[in-house]
Amino acid sequence: MAVRSPDPLAEAVNSAKVATLGALAAGVAHELNTPMGALNSNHDVLKRALARLQDILADEVVEPDELDEVRRIVAAINDVLQVNDLAVTRMVRLVTSLRTFGRPDRAQRDHVDVREPIEAALTLLAHETRDRVTIARDFGEIGTVECYPQELGQVFMNILMNAIQAIEGSGTVTVRTRAFADGVRIDIEDTGVGIPAQNLERIFDPGFTTRNSRVGMGLGLLLAREVMDRHGGRIEVRSEPGRGSTFSLTLPYALPHGGA
Amino acid sequence: MSASYTPTVLLVDDEEMVLGALRSFLQLETTYRILTTTLPQQALDTIRSDLVDVIVADFMMPDMDGIEFLRRARDLRPHASRILLTGYADVQNAIRAINEAGLYYYLEKPWDNDRLRLVIRNGVERSSLVNELDARNTALESTNVELLSLRHRLIKAFL
Repeated sequence: MAVRSPDPLAEAVNSAKVATLGALAAGVAHELNTPMGALNSNHDVLKRALARLQDILADEVVEPDELDEVRRIVAAINDVLQVNDLAVTRMVRLVTSLRTFGRPDRAQRDHVDVREPIEAALTLLAHETRDRVTIARDFGEIGTVECYPQELGQVFMNILMNAIQAIEGSGTVTVRTRAFADGVRIDIEDTGVGIPAQNLERIFDPGFTTRNSRVGMGLGLLLAREVMDRHGGRIEVRSEPGRGSTFSLTLPYALPHGGA
Repeated sequence: MSASYTPTVLLVDDEEMVLGALRSFLQLETTYRILTTTLPQQALDTIRSDLVDVIVADFMMPDMDGIEFLRRARDLRPHASRILLTGYADVQNAIRAINEAGLYYYLEKPWDNDRLRLVIRNGVERSSLVNELDARNTALESTNVELLSLRHRLIKAFL
Protein backbone atom coordinates (compact mmCIF):
# COMPACT_ATOMS: atom_id res chain seq x y z
CA MET A 1 0.00 0.00 0.00
CA ALA A 2 1.33 3.37 -0.99
CA VAL A 3 2.06 5.76 1.83
CA ARG A 4 -0.15 8.82 1.46
CA SER A 5 1.86 11.93 0.99
CA PRO A 6 1.27 14.39 3.82
CA ASP A 7 -1.46 16.85 2.97
CA PRO A 8 -0.85 20.09 4.90
CA LEU A 9 -4.25 21.53 3.99
CA ALA A 10 -6.12 18.43 5.21
CA GLU A 11 -4.05 18.55 8.39
CA ALA A 12 -4.89 22.23 8.90
CA VAL A 13 -8.60 21.54 8.33
CA ASN A 14 -8.48 18.74 10.89
CA SER A 15 -6.81 20.97 13.47
CA ALA A 16 -9.38 23.68 12.83
CA LYS A 17 -12.17 21.11 13.28
CA VAL A 18 -10.82 19.95 16.61
CA ALA A 19 -10.56 23.57 17.77
CA THR A 20 -14.11 24.32 16.54
CA LEU A 21 -15.57 21.28 18.30
CA GLY A 22 -13.77 22.33 21.47
CA ALA A 23 -15.23 25.82 21.23
CA LEU A 24 -18.75 24.47 20.62
CA ALA A 25 -18.66 21.62 23.15
CA ALA A 26 -20.24 23.52 26.05
CA GLY A 27 -23.07 24.82 23.85
CA VAL A 28 -23.73 21.41 22.29
CA ALA A 29 -23.72 19.79 25.74
CA HIS A 30 -26.32 22.29 26.87
CA GLU A 31 -28.43 21.69 23.75
CA LEU A 32 -28.34 17.95 24.58
CA ASN A 33 -29.13 18.59 28.24
CA THR A 34 -32.64 19.89 27.50
CA PRO A 35 -33.99 16.79 25.67
CA MET A 36 -31.99 14.56 28.02
CA GLY A 37 -33.62 16.18 31.05
CA ALA A 38 -37.06 15.60 29.52
CA LEU A 39 -36.27 11.96 28.63
CA ASN A 40 -34.78 11.33 32.07
CA SER A 41 -37.92 12.60 33.79
CA ASN A 42 -40.26 10.82 31.37
CA HIS A 43 -38.48 7.51 31.81
CA ASP A 44 -39.16 7.81 35.53
CA VAL A 45 -42.83 8.74 34.86
CA LEU A 46 -43.27 5.66 32.64
CA LYS A 47 -41.92 3.41 35.40
CA ARG A 48 -44.32 4.98 37.90
CA ALA A 49 -47.22 4.62 35.45
CA LEU A 50 -46.41 0.96 34.86
CA ALA A 51 -46.20 0.27 38.60
CA ARG A 52 -49.66 1.79 39.07
CA LEU A 53 -51.16 -0.24 36.24
CA GLN A 54 -49.61 -3.42 37.65
CA ASP A 55 -51.04 -2.53 41.02
CA ILE A 56 -54.54 -2.11 39.60
CA LEU A 57 -54.24 -5.40 37.67
CA ALA A 58 -52.80 -7.34 40.63
CA ASP A 59 -56.18 -8.80 41.58
CA GLU A 60 -56.93 -9.48 37.89
CA VAL A 61 -60.05 -7.29 38.11
CA VAL A 62 -60.44 -3.66 37.12
CA GLU A 63 -63.11 -2.17 39.37
CA PRO A 64 -65.32 0.55 37.84
CA ASP A 65 -63.77 3.15 40.16
CA GLU A 66 -60.31 2.07 39.01
CA LEU A 67 -61.20 2.64 35.38
CA ASP A 68 -60.89 6.43 35.73
CA GLU A 69 -57.43 5.99 37.22
CA VAL A 70 -56.43 3.70 34.31
CA ARG A 71 -57.65 6.33 31.83
CA ARG A 72 -55.65 9.01 33.64
CA ILE A 73 -52.50 6.88 33.53
CA VAL A 74 -52.98 6.08 29.84
CA ALA A 75 -53.37 9.81 29.11
CA ALA A 76 -50.15 10.49 31.02
CA ILE A 77 -48.29 7.82 29.03
CA ASN A 78 -49.58 9.37 25.82
CA ASP A 79 -48.29 12.82 26.86
CA VAL A 80 -44.93 11.34 27.81
CA LEU A 81 -44.52 9.61 24.45
CA GLN A 82 -45.29 12.82 22.55
CA VAL A 83 -42.57 14.67 24.44
CA ASN A 84 -40.19 11.75 23.94
CA ASP A 85 -40.72 11.96 20.17
CA LEU A 86 -39.60 15.60 20.24
CA ALA A 87 -36.67 14.90 22.56
CA VAL A 88 -35.36 11.91 20.60
CA THR A 89 -35.66 13.80 17.29
CA ARG A 90 -33.68 16.71 18.75
CA MET A 91 -30.93 14.45 20.11
CA VAL A 92 -30.66 12.47 16.86
CA ARG A 93 -30.33 15.70 14.88
CA LEU A 94 -27.56 16.99 17.15
CA VAL A 95 -25.57 13.76 17.08
CA THR A 96 -26.04 13.42 13.30
CA SER A 97 -24.72 16.97 12.90
CA LEU A 98 -21.69 16.16 15.04
CA ARG A 99 -21.00 13.11 12.85
CA THR A 100 -21.54 15.05 9.62
CA PHE A 101 -19.16 17.77 10.80
CA GLY A 102 -16.53 15.59 12.39
CA ARG A 103 -16.51 12.08 10.97
CA PRO A 104 -13.18 11.02 9.49
CA ASP A 105 -14.69 8.55 6.99
CA ARG A 106 -16.07 11.50 5.04
CA ALA A 107 -12.57 12.89 4.45
CA GLN A 108 -12.65 11.42 0.95
CA ARG A 109 -14.14 13.14 -2.06
CA ASP A 110 -17.85 12.61 -2.55
CA HIS A 111 -20.92 13.96 -4.29
CA VAL A 112 -22.80 16.00 -1.72
CA ASP A 113 -25.68 18.44 -1.51
CA VAL A 114 -23.80 21.21 0.34
CA ARG A 115 -26.97 22.18 2.22
CA GLU A 116 -26.25 19.07 4.34
CA PRO A 117 -22.96 20.34 5.88
CA ILE A 118 -24.49 23.83 6.15
CA GLU A 119 -27.45 22.42 8.14
CA ALA A 120 -25.05 20.44 10.33
CA ALA A 121 -23.05 23.59 11.11
CA LEU A 122 -26.23 25.55 11.87
CA THR A 123 -27.47 22.82 14.22
CA LEU A 124 -24.16 22.83 16.11
CA LEU A 125 -24.30 26.64 16.28
CA ALA A 126 -27.90 26.69 17.55
CA HIS A 127 -26.76 27.50 21.05
CA GLU A 128 -24.69 30.49 19.88
CA THR A 129 -27.53 31.96 17.80
CA ARG A 130 -30.41 31.15 20.10
CA ASP A 131 -32.57 34.12 21.13
CA ARG A 132 -30.08 36.52 19.55
CA VAL A 133 -29.46 35.78 15.89
CA THR A 134 -32.19 34.74 13.47
CA ILE A 135 -31.10 32.30 10.78
CA ALA A 136 -32.91 32.81 7.47
CA ARG A 137 -32.60 29.91 5.02
CA ASP A 138 -33.13 30.83 1.39
CA PHE A 139 -32.28 27.40 0.02
CA GLY A 140 -32.69 26.93 -3.73
CA GLU A 141 -32.39 23.40 -5.14
CA ILE A 142 -28.72 22.89 -5.99
CA GLY A 143 -28.25 19.14 -6.47
CA THR A 144 -24.87 17.71 -5.58
CA VAL A 145 -21.31 18.83 -6.19
CA GLU A 146 -18.15 16.74 -6.20
CA CYS A 147 -16.15 17.89 -3.20
CA TYR A 148 -14.30 17.09 0.01
CA PRO A 149 -17.30 17.39 2.37
CA GLN A 150 -15.21 17.55 5.54
CA GLU A 151 -13.20 20.50 4.25
CA LEU A 152 -16.27 22.37 3.01
CA GLY A 153 -17.97 21.71 6.35
CA GLN A 154 -15.15 23.55 8.13
CA VAL A 155 -15.36 26.47 5.66
CA PHE A 156 -19.13 26.85 6.21
CA MET A 157 -18.68 26.57 9.96
CA ASN A 158 -15.96 29.19 9.97
CA ILE A 159 -17.87 31.72 7.91
CA LEU A 160 -21.10 31.14 9.86
CA MET A 161 -19.22 31.60 13.17
CA ASN A 162 -17.70 34.84 11.88
CA ALA A 163 -21.14 36.02 10.75
CA ILE A 164 -22.71 35.27 14.14
CA GLN A 165 -19.84 36.89 16.03
CA ALA A 166 -20.03 39.98 13.81
CA ILE A 167 -23.53 40.66 15.13
CA GLU A 168 -23.57 42.72 18.29
CA GLY A 169 -26.90 42.29 20.05
CA SER A 170 -29.51 40.84 17.74
CA GLY A 171 -29.54 40.43 13.98
CA THR A 172 -29.97 38.05 11.08
CA VAL A 173 -27.73 35.67 9.16
CA THR A 174 -29.15 34.75 5.76
CA VAL A 175 -27.87 31.63 4.00
CA ARG A 176 -28.71 31.52 0.29
CA THR A 177 -27.99 28.64 -2.12
CA ARG A 178 -28.35 28.89 -5.90
CA ALA A 179 -27.53 26.60 -8.82
CA PHE A 180 -25.98 27.88 -12.06
CA ALA A 181 -24.93 26.23 -15.33
CA ASP A 182 -21.33 25.77 -14.18
CA GLY A 183 -21.74 25.31 -10.42
CA VAL A 184 -23.42 26.44 -7.20
CA ARG A 185 -23.17 29.59 -5.15
CA ILE A 186 -23.62 29.93 -1.40
CA ASP A 187 -24.06 33.40 0.11
CA ILE A 188 -23.72 33.91 3.84
CA GLU A 189 -24.94 37.37 4.71
CA ASP A 190 -24.93 38.97 8.15
CA THR A 191 -26.33 42.21 9.59
CA GLY A 192 -23.22 42.65 11.72
CA VAL A 193 -20.61 45.34 12.25
CA GLY A 194 -19.04 44.96 8.79
CA ILE A 195 -15.39 45.09 7.75
CA PRO A 196 -13.63 48.45 7.12
CA ALA A 197 -12.65 49.00 3.45
CA GLN A 198 -8.92 49.13 4.25
CA ASN A 199 -9.11 45.61 5.74
CA LEU A 200 -11.33 44.05 3.09
CA GLU A 201 -8.45 43.34 0.67
CA ARG A 202 -6.33 41.77 3.39
CA ILE A 203 -8.68 39.50 5.32
CA PHE A 204 -7.55 36.42 3.35
CA ASP A 205 -3.85 37.20 3.82
CA PRO A 206 -1.83 34.79 5.98
CA GLY A 207 -1.82 35.91 9.57
CA PHE A 208 -3.97 38.96 8.98
CA THR A 209 -5.81 40.01 12.08
CA THR A 210 -6.86 43.19 13.79
CA ARG A 211 -6.73 43.71 17.49
CA ASN A 212 -10.50 43.85 17.68
CA SER A 213 -11.14 41.24 15.04
CA ARG A 214 -13.42 38.29 15.58
CA VAL A 215 -11.74 35.29 17.17
CA GLY A 216 -9.87 33.03 14.77
CA MET A 217 -10.74 35.10 11.72
CA GLY A 218 -7.19 35.49 10.45
CA LEU A 219 -6.43 31.81 10.10
CA GLY A 220 -9.99 30.70 9.33
CA LEU A 221 -10.41 32.77 6.19
CA LEU A 222 -6.97 31.85 4.84
CA LEU A 223 -7.94 28.21 5.29
CA ALA A 224 -11.31 28.84 3.65
CA ARG A 225 -9.67 30.35 0.58
CA GLU A 226 -7.22 27.46 0.25
CA VAL A 227 -10.05 24.91 0.50
CA MET A 228 -12.03 26.80 -2.16
CA ASP A 229 -8.92 26.90 -4.39
CA ARG A 230 -8.56 23.12 -4.10
CA HIS A 231 -12.20 22.79 -5.19
CA GLY A 232 -11.65 25.08 -8.18
CA GLY A 233 -14.04 27.52 -6.50
CA ARG A 234 -13.86 31.07 -5.21
CA ILE A 235 -14.58 33.00 -2.04
CA GLU A 236 -15.48 36.67 -2.20
CA VAL A 237 -16.61 39.20 0.33
CA ARG A 238 -18.63 42.39 0.20
CA SER A 239 -19.01 44.49 3.28
CA GLU A 240 -20.38 47.79 4.46
CA PRO A 241 -19.29 48.91 7.93
CA GLY A 242 -22.30 49.25 10.19
CA ARG A 243 -24.57 47.28 7.84
CA GLY A 244 -22.95 43.86 7.51
CA SER A 245 -20.96 41.51 5.31
CA THR A 246 -21.71 38.91 2.65
CA PHE A 247 -19.37 36.03 1.92
CA SER A 248 -20.05 34.38 -1.45
CA LEU A 249 -18.70 30.91 -2.16
CA THR A 250 -18.83 29.45 -5.66
CA LEU A 251 -18.17 25.78 -6.37
CA PRO A 252 -18.00 23.98 -9.72
CA TYR A 253 -20.01 20.74 -10.02
CA ALA A 254 -16.82 18.70 -10.43
CA LEU A 255 -13.41 18.90 -8.79
CA PRO A 256 -10.56 20.09 -11.02
CA HIS A 257 -8.49 17.31 -12.65
CA GLY A 258 -5.66 16.19 -10.42
CA GLY A 259 -7.42 17.89 -7.51
CA ALA A 260 -7.01 14.82 -5.30
CA MET B 1 -56.26 26.73 54.48
CA SER B 2 -59.44 24.74 53.86
CA ALA B 3 -59.32 21.02 53.14
CA SER B 4 -60.62 21.53 49.62
CA TYR B 5 -57.98 24.07 48.63
CA THR B 6 -55.99 22.98 45.56
CA PRO B 7 -52.57 24.65 45.40
CA THR B 8 -51.47 26.05 42.04
CA VAL B 9 -48.03 25.49 40.53
CA LEU B 10 -46.95 27.66 37.59
CA LEU B 11 -44.22 26.28 35.29
CA VAL B 12 -42.34 28.61 32.91
CA ASP B 13 -39.78 27.29 30.41
CA ASP B 14 -39.22 28.28 26.78
CA GLU B 15 -38.80 24.58 25.89
CA GLU B 16 -42.17 22.90 25.38
CA MET B 17 -40.58 19.48 25.96
CA VAL B 18 -39.40 20.47 29.45
CA LEU B 19 -42.88 21.78 30.32
CA GLY B 20 -44.41 18.56 28.96
CA ALA B 21 -42.15 16.36 31.09
CA LEU B 22 -42.74 18.40 34.27
CA ARG B 23 -46.50 18.48 33.66
CA SER B 24 -46.76 14.71 33.05
CA PHE B 25 -44.94 13.96 36.28
CA LEU B 26 -46.82 16.44 38.46
CA GLN B 27 -50.21 15.43 37.04
CA LEU B 28 -49.51 11.77 37.69
CA GLU B 29 -48.03 12.13 41.15
CA THR B 30 -49.67 15.19 42.73
CA THR B 31 -53.10 16.82 42.97
CA TYR B 32 -51.89 20.37 42.33
CA ARG B 33 -53.41 22.54 39.66
CA ILE B 34 -50.63 22.83 37.05
CA LEU B 35 -50.33 25.87 34.77
CA THR B 36 -47.64 26.04 32.07
CA THR B 37 -46.38 28.61 29.60
CA THR B 38 -43.33 29.13 27.38
CA LEU B 39 -43.67 32.94 27.65
CA PRO B 40 -42.46 34.80 30.77
CA GLN B 41 -44.69 37.79 29.95
CA GLN B 42 -47.75 35.56 29.81
CA ALA B 43 -46.69 33.99 33.11
CA LEU B 44 -46.61 37.46 34.71
CA ASP B 45 -50.17 38.09 33.47
CA THR B 46 -51.22 34.80 35.08
CA ILE B 47 -49.53 35.75 38.37
CA ARG B 48 -51.31 39.11 38.27
CA SER B 49 -54.77 37.60 37.73
CA ASP B 50 -54.59 34.18 39.37
CA LEU B 51 -53.65 32.75 42.76
CA VAL B 52 -50.28 31.01 42.40
CA ASP B 53 -48.53 29.18 45.25
CA VAL B 54 -45.32 27.99 43.60
CA ILE B 55 -43.50 29.31 40.51
CA VAL B 56 -40.90 27.14 38.75
CA ALA B 57 -38.90 29.04 36.10
CA ASP B 58 -36.15 28.20 33.62
CA PHE B 59 -33.08 30.45 33.62
CA MET B 60 -32.33 30.93 29.90
CA MET B 61 -35.42 32.29 28.17
CA PRO B 62 -35.73 34.73 25.27
CA ASP B 63 -36.83 38.28 26.15
CA MET B 64 -36.41 37.81 29.90
CA ASP B 65 -34.07 35.58 31.95
CA GLY B 66 -35.43 33.50 34.81
CA ILE B 67 -33.99 35.71 37.54
CA GLU B 68 -35.52 38.89 36.09
CA PHE B 69 -38.81 37.03 35.65
CA LEU B 70 -38.83 35.79 39.25
CA ARG B 71 -37.90 39.27 40.52
CA ARG B 72 -40.99 40.68 38.79
CA ALA B 73 -43.07 37.74 40.03
CA ARG B 74 -42.00 38.58 43.60
CA ASP B 75 -43.24 42.16 43.20
CA LEU B 76 -46.62 40.86 42.03
CA ARG B 77 -47.09 37.98 44.47
CA PRO B 78 -44.47 38.06 47.21
CA HIS B 79 -45.79 35.03 49.09
CA ALA B 80 -45.47 32.56 46.21
CA SER B 81 -42.41 30.28 46.54
CA ARG B 82 -39.96 30.86 43.66
CA ILE B 83 -37.87 28.01 42.25
CA LEU B 84 -35.23 28.36 39.52
CA LEU B 85 -34.71 25.27 37.32
CA THR B 86 -31.51 25.72 35.37
CA GLY B 87 -29.07 23.98 33.08
CA TYR B 88 -26.58 26.77 33.85
CA ALA B 89 -25.77 26.06 37.44
CA ASP B 90 -23.05 28.41 38.61
CA VAL B 91 -22.38 30.20 41.86
CA GLN B 92 -22.79 33.70 40.43
CA ASN B 93 -26.24 32.96 39.04
CA ALA B 94 -27.28 31.30 42.27
CA ILE B 95 -26.18 34.32 44.32
CA ARG B 96 -27.90 36.70 41.91
CA ALA B 97 -31.10 34.62 42.06
CA ILE B 98 -31.14 34.53 45.85
CA ASN B 99 -30.36 38.23 46.27
CA GLU B 100 -32.45 39.67 43.45
CA ALA B 101 -35.42 37.32 43.28
CA GLY B 102 -35.63 36.04 46.87
CA LEU B 103 -35.27 32.53 45.58
CA TYR B 104 -36.78 29.66 47.58
CA TYR B 105 -34.87 26.86 45.82
CA TYR B 106 -32.32 26.36 43.07
CA LEU B 107 -32.68 23.13 41.04
CA GLU B 108 -30.39 21.82 38.32
CA LYS B 109 -31.34 20.21 35.01
CA PRO B 110 -31.58 17.29 34.55
CA TRP B 111 -33.73 17.15 37.67
CA ASP B 112 -34.72 14.28 39.92
CA ASN B 113 -38.51 13.87 40.09
CA ASP B 114 -38.70 12.85 43.77
CA ARG B 115 -36.58 15.84 44.74
CA LEU B 116 -38.65 18.15 42.55
CA ARG B 117 -41.86 16.90 44.15
CA LEU B 118 -40.43 17.43 47.63
CA VAL B 119 -39.19 20.94 46.81
CA ILE B 120 -42.57 21.89 45.34
CA ARG B 121 -44.45 20.39 48.29
CA ASN B 122 -42.29 22.31 50.75
CA GLY B 123 -42.75 25.41 48.59
CA VAL B 124 -46.54 25.02 48.73
CA GLU B 125 -46.38 24.61 52.52
CA ARG B 126 -44.11 27.60 52.96
CA SER B 127 -46.34 29.73 50.80
CA SER B 128 -49.51 28.73 52.69
CA LEU B 129 -47.81 29.33 56.06
CA VAL B 130 -46.71 32.80 54.99
CA ASN B 131 -50.23 33.50 53.73
CA GLU B 132 -51.71 32.30 57.00
CA LEU B 133 -49.24 34.33 59.03
CA ASP B 134 -50.10 37.36 56.96
CA ALA B 135 -53.83 36.80 57.46
CA ARG B 136 -53.36 36.40 61.25
CA ASN B 137 -51.22 39.51 61.41
CA THR B 138 -53.90 41.46 59.60
CA ALA B 139 -56.55 40.06 61.97
CA LEU B 140 -54.40 40.92 65.00
CA GLU B 141 -53.83 44.41 63.73
CA SER B 142 -57.53 45.03 63.21
CA THR B 143 -58.33 43.55 66.65
CA ASN B 144 -55.71 45.84 68.11
CA VAL B 145 -57.29 48.85 66.43
CA GLU B 146 -60.70 47.79 67.76
CA LEU B 147 -59.30 47.36 71.28
CA LEU B 148 -57.68 50.77 71.16
CA SER B 149 -60.88 52.43 70.10
CA LEU B 150 -62.82 50.50 72.78
CA ARG B 151 -60.33 51.61 75.41
CA HIS B 152 -60.64 55.16 74.19
CA ARG B 153 -64.43 55.02 74.46
CA LEU B 154 -64.30 53.41 77.92
CA ILE B 155 -61.95 56.06 79.22
CA LYS B 156 -64.23 58.76 77.79
CA ALA B 157 -67.32 57.17 79.35
CA PHE B 158 -65.89 56.91 82.86
CA LEU B 159 -63.94 60.14 83.12
